[in-house]
Amino acid sequence: MELNWLQDILQKVECVGPVDIRRLPEDETWVVIPFDKVFDFVKYIMEDDSTWHLSAITGQDTGSQIELLYHFWLGHGLTLCTRLAYENPQIKSITALIPGAAFYEREAAEMLGIGFTELKDKSFLLLPDAWGKGWPLRKEKKEKHDD
Amino acid sequence: MSVIKYILRWARRKSLWVLHYNSGGCNGCDIEIVDLLTPRFDIERLGILAEASPRHADVLLCTGPVTAQSKDRLIQIYHQMPAPKWVIAVGSCGCSGGIFTGSYNVYGGIDQAIPVSIFIPGCPCRPEAVIAGILKLSEAID
Amino acid sequence: MMTKLKIPVGPHHPLLKEPISFLLTVEGERVLESSMRLGYVHRGIERLCQERTYVQAVHLIERICGICSHVHSTTYCHAVETLLGLEVPLRAHYIRALLCELERIHSHLLWLGVLAKNIGLDTVFMYTWRDREIVLDIMEDLSGGRVSHAINVIGGVKIDLDQKMMDIIIEKLEELAPKLTIALGLFENEPTVSLRTQGIGVITKEEATRHCVVGPIARASGVDIDVRRDVPRPPYDRLEFNVVTHTDGDVWARTLVRIMETRESHRLIQQIISQLPSGDIAVKAKRRVPPGEVVCRFEAPRGELFYYIRSDGSDQPARIKIRTPTIPALSTLPDQLREVNLADVPVILSGVDLCIACADR
Repeated sequence: MELNWLQDILQKVECVGPVDIRRLPEDETWVVIPFDKVFDFVKYIMEDDSTWHLSAITGQDTGSQIELLYHFWLGHGLTLCTRLAYENPQIKSITALIPGAAFYEREAAEMLGIGFTELKDKSFLLLPDAWGKGWPLRKEKKEKHDD
Repeated sequence: MSVIKYILRWARRKSLWVLHYNSGGCNGCDIEIVDLLTPRFDIERLGILAEASPRHADVLLCTGPVTAQSKDRLIQIYHQMPAPKWVIAVGSCGCSGGIFTGSYNVYGGIDQAIPVSIFIPGCPCRPEAVIAGILKLSEAID
Repeated sequence: MMTKLKIPVGPHHPLLKEPISFLLTVEGERVLESSMRLGYVHRGIERLCQERTYVQAVHLIERICGICSHVHSTTYCHAVETLLGLEVPLRAHYIRALLCELERIHSHLLWLGVLAKNIGLDTVFMYTWRDREIVLDIMEDLSGGRVSHAINVIGGVKIDLDQKMMDIIIEKLEELAPKLTIALGLFENEPTVSLRTQGIGVITKEEATRHCVVGPIARASGVDIDVRRDVPRPPYDRLEFNVVTHTDGDVWARTLVRIMETRESHRLIQQIISQLPSGDIAVKAKRRVPPGEVVCRFEAPRGELFYYIRSDGSDQPARIKIRTPTIPALSTLPDQLREVNLADVPVILSGVDLCIACADR
């Protein structure tokens, strides 16, 4: 992964301040960007090369924040990390750029309670219809299904 | 026992028609059950046919732990089968929930939803064990 | 004007080996659109893994799916070994790859049989599944289990191959080769199969990229991706194999791609056996994993298998994210099931090679 190329995209997206860029094992580059810049970042890398492959979208509860990771791959891996508020996390959906992200976003939404704006179908992907309240992957006491 | 009852019992024992349903398992036991139809194990020589509809089946071969989404469908399929009917729970997950016990979406074994006649353990269950279980059921039919 | 009917397919259906529910809106003989419901096999594995130790999670991860169980545990063990900074012996990599390729052959033969059964060619189903038994025999002689092998530990593998076992494998592979030629030749040469599957369920290269499709479905649409070649790691960086692609993107193209892949896997296994290096089969691994994150990708029979593991320094994983290759394939189904004949629905559903246990986890 060319660091200059990455710095160019970060400049286009107008990311101010020092950016956390790390190398992870198995040839992966990790970048932390603010949540309101994610859609533009994905737009610029897709314009640069439309064959960027989105492997997965991971949501995780680190105890203090909700982290959303977008894992891309084109010859080398690229992981975008963004941090959201614990109460009512909201982020713009990238399904307008990559329709295949819909299933991943639906799963992150139901497992962690993340709100994706502009996501058309927000119904449950994996959880049952009879699910009560609660998000299984949050670090709270795990909720049982209604019944 | 009257002649008609004797003939009915003989017919039921010698030609059990099975229906296979996966209520939430990993598919390991299911591919071993579908293996029963293939030339090496061949349950058709024992009179057992794999059926497509619950209304034609005598035995429900059920695998997998009962998940919350699957529970109502499983009960519906059981009620659609005409009497006399039997249920065989195949695999450790079907017997007791197996390795997935304690999950937020898993109730437990098949007996949490419907009455079970025979339990066949194994993870996954071997096809020979499933044949042995079905034959044990046929001996117990009266 | 004809009335629109809603026809449910699943969760229990003769076509489907696993529960998944489709609702098809049909007008006459034409399917207008469809919707699907997953979640019947959702067992909450990602949450369960966080409540177990790394060693206990190996057995749980193997049971995500019965058909591709070995590649799940291989990817997981590889990711944890990377976090621990372990140098796994080369012999262990070869033994893992041997089982991965055997699993690929058994999974493709299984799929070919199911496709034949859903088209109506029951005899071909019997032929492919009978030949698949030879592969299961090899796996059983090697590891003790036909479907679940439990051969991976964190640090390597548990079971070694001696000369006698290698001779048995070579003998059984020689027994399999002519049978594979006949069974795969049936699909390639029989005009019924190609007429029934050509032009159905077409996914173009652009659609495949937009839906992030992986595996044989992507390769049949012309997208040249294969994790074995693209992420070079032992032993695939020392073995010779071709990545098979096709351009049509329909079910027939996927059939041809899987048939060629089965032949490639057969060649790969012969190379692995002949090049097997000597040495240890495992190294000792610590119970506590230092804090860190890792991303790991492997090539499962259905495509790219993705694992992300985050560790916080204890002996329990903080987060395991699993993305299985069936999920992007499922997201193409609403497009494939639009404006098709009702009679083509079995072919389309078979062409996607559904592994719902993987998708639901």
